[in-house]
Amino acid sequence: MVNLILNGLSISVEKGTTILEAAKFYGFPIPTLCHKEGLSPYGACRLCVVEIGEGPGAKLVSSCTYPVEEGMKVRTASERVLKARRIIIELLLASCPQSKVIQDIASRHNVRQQRFRQEHEDCILCGLCVRMCKEQMMAGAIGFRGRGKNRSLGTPFDMKSDVCRLCGGCMEVCPACQARCTFNQPEKAICGGCANLVPPCIEKDQFHDMMCYMSPCVACEIKKD
Amino acid sequence: MKTFQSVAQFKTYRESFLATSDQNKPCIVICGGTGGQASGSNDLIRIIKRQILEKDLHDKLALRITGCLGFCEMDPFIIVEPGYNLYPKLQMVDVPRIIDAAVKGEVVEDLLYREPGSTVKRYSEKEIPFFQGQTRIVLGQNQHLDPIRISDYLKIGGYAALEKALQKKDRAWLVDEILAAKLRGRGGAGFLTGKKWELARNMKTRGPKYIICNADEGDPGAYMDRSMLEGNPHAVLEGMIIAALAIGATNGIIYVRTEYPLAIKHATLALRDVRQLGLLGKNILGQGIDFDIEIFHGAGAFVCGEETALIKSIEGKMGEPRQRPPFPIQKGLFGHPTCINNVETLSNVPYIINHGAAEYLKIGVENNAGTKIFSLVGKIKNTGLVEVPLGTPIRKVVYDIGGGPSGEAKIKAIQTGGPSGGCIPASMFDLPIDYDSLAKAGSIMGSGGMIVMDHNTCMVDVAKYFMSFLKDESCGKCFTCRKGTQRMHEILEDITEGRGTPGHLKLLFELAQTVKDTTMCGLGQTAANPVLSTLKYFRDEYERHITDKRCDAFACKELTGAPCQSACPVDTEPWRYVALVEKGDYEEAYRVIRSANPFPAVSSRVCDRKCESRCSLGVSGGEAIGIRAIKRFVTDRVDPSAYRPKPAKNKGKEVAVIGAGPAGLTAAHNLSILGYKVTVFEAEQVPGGMLSCSLPAYRLPRDIVEKEIQTLLNGNIKIEYGRTLGKDMTLQDLLSKKFSAVFLSIGAHESWRLDLENEDIEGIHPSIQFLKAFNIRGEQLAKGHVGIIGGGNSAVDAARVALRQKDVTSVSLFYRRTREEMPAYEEEIDAALEEGVRIETLISPVKIHARQEEIDAALREGVELETLVTPVKIYSREGRVVGMECIKNRLGDVDATGRRKPVPIAGSEFKVELDTLIVAIGEKPQSEFLSAMGLDVDQGGRIKVNSKTLETSLKGVFAGGDLVTGPNTVIDAIASGKKAAQCMDRYLQNQTLTVPAVPKRPSFFIEPAVIDEVEAQTSTRAEPTVLPPAQRLKNFREVTMVLPEDQARSECRRCLRCDLEFTRTKAAEQPAAAAIGGGKNG
Repeated sequence: MVNLILNGLSISVEKGTTILEAAKFYGFPIPTLCHKEGLSPYGACRLCVVEIGEGPGAKLVSSCTYPVEEGMKVRTASERVLKARRIIIELLLASCPQSKVIQDIASRHNVRQQRFRQEHEDCILCGLCVRMCKEQMMAGAIGFRGRGKNRSLGTPFDMKSDVCRLCGGCMEVCPACQARCTFNQPEKAICGGCANLVPPCIEKDQFHDMMCYMSPCVACEIKKD
Repeated sequence: MKTFQSVAQFKTYRESFLATSDQNKPCIVICGGTGGQASGSNDLIRIIKRQILEKDLHDKLALRITGCLGFCEMDPFIIVEPGYNLYPKLQMVDVPRIIDAAVKGEVVEDLLYREPGSTVKRYSEKEIPFFQGQTRIVLGQNQHLDPIRISDYLKIGGYAALEKALQKKDRAWLVDEILAAKLRGRGGAGFLTGKKWELARNMKTRGPKYIICNADEGDPGAYMDRSMLEGNPHAVLEGMIIAALAIGATNGIIYVRTEYPLAIKHATLALRDVRQLGLLGKNILGQGIDFDIEIFHGAGAFVCGEETALIKSIEGKMGEPRQRPPFPIQKGLFGHPTCINNVETLSNVPYIINHGAAEYLKIGVENNAGTKIFSLVGKIKNTGLVEVPLGTPIRKVVYDIGGGPSGEAKIKAIQTGGPSGGCIPASMFDLPIDYDSLAKAGSIMGSGGMIVMDHNTCMVDVAKYFMSFLKDESCGKCFTCRKGTQRMHEILEDITEGRGTPGHLKLLFELAQTVKDTTMCGLGQTAANPVLSTLKYFRDEYERHITDKRCDAFACKELTGAPCQSACPVDTEPWRYVALVEKGDYEEAYRVIRSANPFPAVSSRVCDRKCESRCSLGVSGGEAIGIRAIKRFVTDRVDPSAYRPKPAKNKGKEVAVIGAGPAGLTAAHNLSILGYKVTVFEAEQVPGGMLSCSLPAYRLPRDIVEKEIQTLLNGNIKIEYGRTLGKDMTLQDLLSKKFSAVFLSIGAHESWRLDLENEDIEGIHPSIQFLKAFNIRGEQLAKGHVGIIGGGNSAVDAARVALRQKDVTSVSLFYRRTREEMPAYEEEIDAALEEGVRIETLISPVKIHARQEEIDAALREGVELETLVTPVKIYSREGRVVGMECIKNRLGDVDATGRRKPVPIAGSEFKVELDTLIVAIGEKPQSEFLSAMGLDVDQGGRIKVNSKTLETSLKGVFAGGDLVTGPNTVIDAIASGKKAAQCMDRYLQNQTLTVPAVPKRPSFFIEPAVIDEVEAQTSTRAEPTVLPPAQRLKNFREVTMVLPEDQARSECRRCLRCDLEFTRTKAAEQPAAAAIGGGKNG
């Protein structure tokens, strides 16, 4: 067992636990976007930063990837943490204003406006879908490409992946979401939405062996537009 | 080569080389590094080889092709041993002479190195300041070895450290030695290398242990790691093998980017040689140790220099960092313990093992032992690699080793540590360069890039550049780094393109802090440094971009528009009248000039030409357009009646203007056009202020001034002469009578004093009194040998006027610094010297704005110049000056103004005999009486005003011209008069005084001239003819002539027309666009 001080509270948790898990266990909420139980920690969204250490040595680390250390002092909601978190939320809102998940986090943190130039992107590159696909669905159909501002998500060369089973797992976990339904074009990269059990709107023969749990059927919604 | 099985065998082999080197045989050393090759050293090498073959010099001359020697500015250069004669920037034709001389043991005098602008020859490399200031314990070896020959490395004692390391069985002492030497990682973060090795040594593992040499050098402008691997790969390998022995590593990897082909080649060859000798591979020298090194080519991602990303890259995955812990030491490459060291760190290891930690600690300062190589680039004379002990002040590196700024502009800041580093302003150049001081100043050591920036560099633009680099090079994994750098870049783009708002600065700061705080790896954590450090030290530049929409460095294109227009204090559009003159439309050109500037003819003679100094053609290496000469051509040709502004309806208010100088008359004229009745009060009996009483007639003929002033007057303006503020009236009188507002522009008419004994005796005149006496009353005060103290324009004017007075025999100018530092116009100085003035350089307690060209003119007229002297005593006989005593100065360190301080040399006093002494060390406004009237006045006697509105501390009273700025140019005075008229108009109409700034961009399209290639390349700047000195003596004829029509027009054809980028209309672009579209469809 490792002993540490979490928000002034002396606690002990098992070795190898991350700060995020420890905080969750003791009831301190930490917002996250790229973390999901059952998937490996990734540390991309930086929302879960907490402050560790003291004085000039204090620093912010992502709690989802940081394992607890003996005697460490953790503050999950210090002023520095909250200030940083608010800017991150502003950045998220500036990129993906339509995401319900992000809106909820923003409202919990009392962020009511963002000051950057408004964009409308579909993806925050949190990597949940990539890990879902690889670690839970054992497919590895999608991944990241490019770096910096050119980094994007998809299959190699944007062609339908041979290993994709159109399970829709990527869309299920997406907080943003880029893994959009591609309507009834199964040759496109990622799909799954229209493969409802009984989609009345599409020709059945292409989709007969698929399953989908999206409700309402995204295909119909797109068609309505 | 044979493979050795024991340390003793290798020792004998190694030592056999030490004796072989023949110190006396001449050897030609030439840099074959990437920098050298790019500068043409390959051609020189070919010629040297051919010469050696043809002349059969094998026994008499050796050739050594080395890696980078560091003095890249002088490439391609040759050093001839044993004399170490350095011949810089060679042409192919020079080579045979050098070879002949080298064989005979002679020196080719005319090709030897001299400092730029100096005539002193440096016979040996060791005498050159660039090398003198350095301590080259690592880089210095490059000169003595050919990187592809291991024998050369053995000759200079190479692999002795490895041999030493192998001799003892227990190798923990290696770690202790490095720990004791306090060697810190040269990659940037400065972690103690010994500590890292200790951790790595203590990691118990059953699998392999790795040592990685990080040669992924990605900082723009940094190339010291490349030069090490290229120039001395064996030192890196030796350090790496020692590191492997120390930590028990089994595998070594050199991670080098593919963009470094020469480094890869040299390292590969070195590896082959070392393996053959048995120093690498299985059972090293029979010691039972297996260790081998392979080279891994990185694909050039900047982020792969970060250790966790580097590991991922070697593993074949996407090069993106992961969160530490676990550290690579615990869990690195393929999950095994991995120790990663920088190239330079490893290069230091052999030195420490050879000489011992105690010796190493003597270099550098506490906690920062040893040396660091910097690549010194940017606006600096000596670009190159510089190795200095840690703790060396920045000033020494920049000015002593680097040689100071490469151009005329002063150095503003240095940027250290590459894109993730920060900028350090020139005011902090006493800062020692070490890990801790740099971090404290908001920068980082980084891998050692040092970019020097001068006043032509915009700090906002610099921050934008680095953000643009980082937004592309961030791996993109963590959100704050990816989006943060993008958003910072976006905000900086907004600011540099004129869309900045005050809120942007706060947002930028908050965002930068967050990026620094919350990102995962070193790249992101330091990515905000360029923004944070420039915000900290250059906040005023950001504010100027945002509130004034101006970029003072003329780097941000959207804020600069056409540089000539932006540079002009009165907003003239030089590009426009230049284009009109080219078309032959002189009247329209005159209207363009006159609409912005009420004194076109005066300006065309005495303007200091800010437009020309910013001309795109001039700053990009060509000759600036002669804008002032073109203006002179137009104003000489076109009658002022071509432009008649129509006064607005009378607004029923009256304004008083005090002083009829350029500022006052401009304000009066513009206010009269706006519909106000203006009364101008002038203390003298003539209008014009400095134009009439100070500027000599040979520069500005009196009839031109009078004619120009007459055109400005109209029914709304009344001038009252001989009326002095403070004597004949007070401000309160004026404001309580009929005037609703007052504009003060009484100039700066009081000379600073030397504060020496006897200063008030006969024969000594303050320059302004001397000039006034002559220009207004025709009194000739100077006689015999005239001495003038000062280096500014009024000193040079006084010198040239004195020279023209009838009883004067000779004129000497005394200045405390050297000719280069003289603030007068260069051409005027030259002219004065030409006319017979002698210049001695001495004292000037206040700064006066003036230019080198004026100095030149004075010198040409025969003024004698005595530089580096300061007067200390004045001799008098019977109440009249007979001479003075001066002390000689030498130039000391660079002071805050960027000029070297004069330091008196004790015992160097000398006496000068004089009949007249004119003190021209600067002027200040006579403003004591103004402060008595309730105005705020500063120490220099200048009135304090709101710089945006020109309001003084008294309501309704505005001030401008020299009264506010101290002695300044005519054009700045006109500009302040113009601005005052605008602000007073708003004040009188009860409007807000300031209006939001808009960038000055060209807005009027003029068809460009068609110029063929030949003409564009062959045309040169047209200089107006000047009177020969013989014809100028003892008269006041105008010295500079007007350009003839054909020359003026062809000069205009040289203009690059920077305005077109902004004015070319959509319509003009349409045909071209259509053609492209049509082609596609067809």
